[in-house]
Amino acid sequence: MIRRLLRDPLAHFLIAGAAIWGLLARGGDPVDPAERTITLSREQQAGLALGFERTMGRPPTDAELDAQIDRWTREEVLYREALRLGLDQGDPVVRRRLAAKMDELAGAEVELAQPSEAELREWLAENPGAFETGGLLTFEQVYFSSESGALAARDGEEPVGQTISLPRAVEGMEERDVAQVFGMQFAEEVGRLTAGSQWQGPIRSGYGWHLVRLNRRGEGSVPPFAEISERVEAEWRSRTIQARREKAYEVLRDAYRIEVE
Amino acid sequence: MQKLIGVAALSLLLAGCSDRLPADATEAQSGDGTDTIELAEFPDRPYWGDTHLHTDVSVDAFGFGVRLGPEDALKFARGEQVTATTGMTAKLDRPLDFLVIADHSDAMGATRRLYDAPRMMVRDPTLRRWYDMMHESPEQSTRAVAELITAAANDEIPEALRDPAQQEKNTRELWDRHLDILDRYNEPGRFTAFAGFEWTLMPGGNNLHRVVMFRDGSAKTGEILPYPGIDGEVTGLWDYMDAYEENTGGKVLAIPHNSNLSNGMMFELTGPDGGAMSAQYARRRAAREPVVEATQIKGDSETHPFLSPNDEFAGFGVAGWELGNLPLTAKATPDMYAGSYVRSALLRGLTLEQQLGVNPYAFGLVGSTDSHTALATGDEDNFFGKHTGNEPREGRAMEGQNLGTRVGRFGWHYLAGGYAAAWARGNTRAEIFDAFMRREVYATTGPRMVVRLFAGFDFTDGDWDGDWVRAGYTRGVPMGGELEDSGKAATFLISALKDPDGANLDRVQVVKGWVDASGEAREKVYDVAWSAREMDGASNSPVPPVGDTVNRSEATYENSIGASELRVTWTDPDYAEGQRAFYYVRVIEIPTPSWVLFDAKRFGLDLPADVVEANVIQERAYSSPVWLRPRRAPGDGPPIMDER
Repeated sequence: MIRRLLRDPLAHFLIAGAAIWGLLARGGDPVDPAERTITLSREQQAGLALGFERTMGRPPTDAELDAQIDRWTREEVLYREALRLGLDQGDPVVRRRLAAKMDELAGAEVELAQPSEAELREWLAENPGAFETGGLLTFEQVYFSSESGALAARDGEEPVGQTISLPRAVEGMEERDVAQVFGMQFAEEVGRLTAGSQWQGPIRSGYGWHLVRLNRRGEGSVPPFAEISERVEAEWRSRTIQARREKAYEVLRDAYRIEVE
Repeated sequence: MQKLIGVAALSLLLAGCSDRLPADATEAQSGDGTDTIELAEFPDRPYWGDTHLHTDVSVDAFGFGVRLGPEDALKFARGEQVTATTGMTAKLDRPLDFLVIADHSDAMGATRRLYDAPRMMVRDPTLRRWYDMMHESPEQSTRAVAELITAAANDEIPEALRDPAQQEKNTRELWDRHLDILDRYNEPGRFTAFAGFEWTLMPGGNNLHRVVMFRDGSAKTGEILPYPGIDGEVTGLWDYMDAYEENTGGKVLAIPHNSNLSNGMMFELTGPDGGAMSAQYARRRAAREPVVEATQIKGDSETHPFLSPNDEFAGFGVAGWELGNLPLTAKATPDMYAGSYVRSALLRGLTLEQQLGVNPYAFGLVGSTDSHTALATGDEDNFFGKHTGNEPREGRAMEGQNLGTRVGRFGWHYLAGGYAAAWARGNTRAEIFDAFMRREVYATTGPRMVVRLFAGFDFTDGDWDGDWVRAGYTRGVPMGGELEDSGKAATFLISALKDPDGANLDRVQVVKGWVDASGEAREKVYDVAWSAREMDGASNSPVPPVGDTVNRSEATYENSIGASELRVTWTDPDYAEGQRAFYYVRVIEIPTPSWVLFDAKRFGLDLPADVVEANVIQERAYSSPVWLRPRRAPGDGPPIMDER
């Protein structure tokens, strides 16, 4: 039980929240007020050196590292004194920043988590919407600049249309791409046709009229997991983070009574 | 400026979490997209995008009021509905295929931080005044930013905004987070999210801005930071780009824009120091800046009627913008125009090439928005404004819209914004970026016409009967390419297909520029294909106007005139051996109402008659040129394209 609780990010969140609340209740001072020693560990020094290197593209000299340390120390001293003075109170930046940190905490575990394939598959089964490709369309089209021309040609075996720089035959194209290539009007009209071997139409597009042989309309489908596993993981992560944040907020929010006067 | 106090308290609790959270993005999403999708044999369709979009990270955009960030921008561009800053829902009719978020590298995120800061921490009197204005009202906020831009243009930015160490830290934080977001939204085959920024070089208010665009994902772009410098040197930017490519093996290019607001400085005949241009400078410029943004919300830079008096379609999107530089701190005079517009720059490039052996201005053309609303809108009926201060509302069309001054530029001078089309074999970072590098891109003022241009020496009308795209690629070069003079006139396969959800086409033109035997730069516009209409007598020149179906008060038009597609095999009738020349295609739509007439209808405005007439427009596409170059002599260096 304890183990599970420790793994549950929501629990982390609540514990962290409680800890922060505790700290703030004590005047927002996370350092012992009596503590007058500032220790800069080797790791922290290495962190400063690395930060320098990332900006300047080379490691700092000893003098430059000393300067970094001086700056850090100065900041730390002022920071502690600021907390002692309660300068973090009533400050919109601190307020917003802390709120953002809480959100990040709620999602942090998920950012790092490595979900198993089974988990992802299950999640995909529950949330197919984002991955569904529109039905793939396979069709032929013949173009006419006038409706009467199209009507006249419809009765022939193989209609012969007019020249236009559009694909004569399309193999397995997603609906959204049909809209990009042939226009929204055409995509909409084709969407209403039923598949079959006969020529249909004429249907209207921004270019004119088209006779269409809709050979195949695939149902909208979710690609096999193996093809989209990376996308699923990314989407799982971002949605789960969002859901955690909302849930964490709800839990915390429920502990308050909000009075808007 | 201010310290984020109190954060360390929490970082204690975050033990175990690294500073930088791991990206959610997968390897396919965070790379350049190579080998992630199946590619067409030849570029089979144009991919549509905006290379120039600002979000709340930009110092001016935030001040103008935008509260939408990069994530909203990406969602919107790929077709989702978002709520604009002023509360309206916004959605594109058709999604875009790619997006470059190009927030200003200078003071990245600074206004946001200024705004968020506790007032007592803002010590600089100027900053404090801006701070108060930003908090007072949206109007005051807009005014504060106008002052800020003017201050930047006049090199009077408060020191506190310039502190490089503090800036660097802030920028690093923003940039890392930004790159993670981009990777997450980058989906090879469906939507491409490019890393980029805008470099805001602006000596004395003259606009020399560049959008910088990276081919790579966060693995490489995370190694560097955006390059700042309102008062730097353009060679400094190129040094930065060189260093990026050397250190990471990545690729990066720069796109100059708003040359129309540069008072002649964008495309000078001289070097940046005023002396003669060096071949080295020309070579670097050509290699680093393969594409120029020719049209956007702040006007169109193709050409000016003063420069092209015989071009009846010159002057689109010129009104207002022609008056001077960006903040209108310096007026423009006609002698400056040749350095401010794209066509004359292409001509200057030919002349300079004759002198230097290398053409600094051999660039392709794209359009984009430069929207500061985080919304990449380019359609006339869906214009969300240059910035949040002029998102849709009643007064925006007739208000003075100047940055810094209130003379001469009005809301209705804004164009609805353009788009960039890239001929690529698939929708990935690598494929689209490479299309930019080889200049196989074109500009539109918003509509999505499909424009093909191939140049060769043996094309015939018969090619249209077969697979003419294959013929174009195998027996010629596409737009952006170069032909070597072979002693006969070049022939072009040109096809323009209308926007399927837009207006019909009036005509297709070829714009030729060349240097004549006496060394003088010349230009000529040829009507090469046009829709059916009543012709005056036997002559095709000039082709009479297509007509006008625009209902001014209803903001509608009829596609009862114009053509769905115009295609032609065209051979240069004025070819002369040894001539240096460029040829680009301009596609003109039939007249349609601009966003101003949609506004008038929507809000019931009573606009002055001249404003109404100025807003019946003929939207257009500009292809990248094809260059015809003299035969290569044995001693010549390699072509720029090979170096790229």
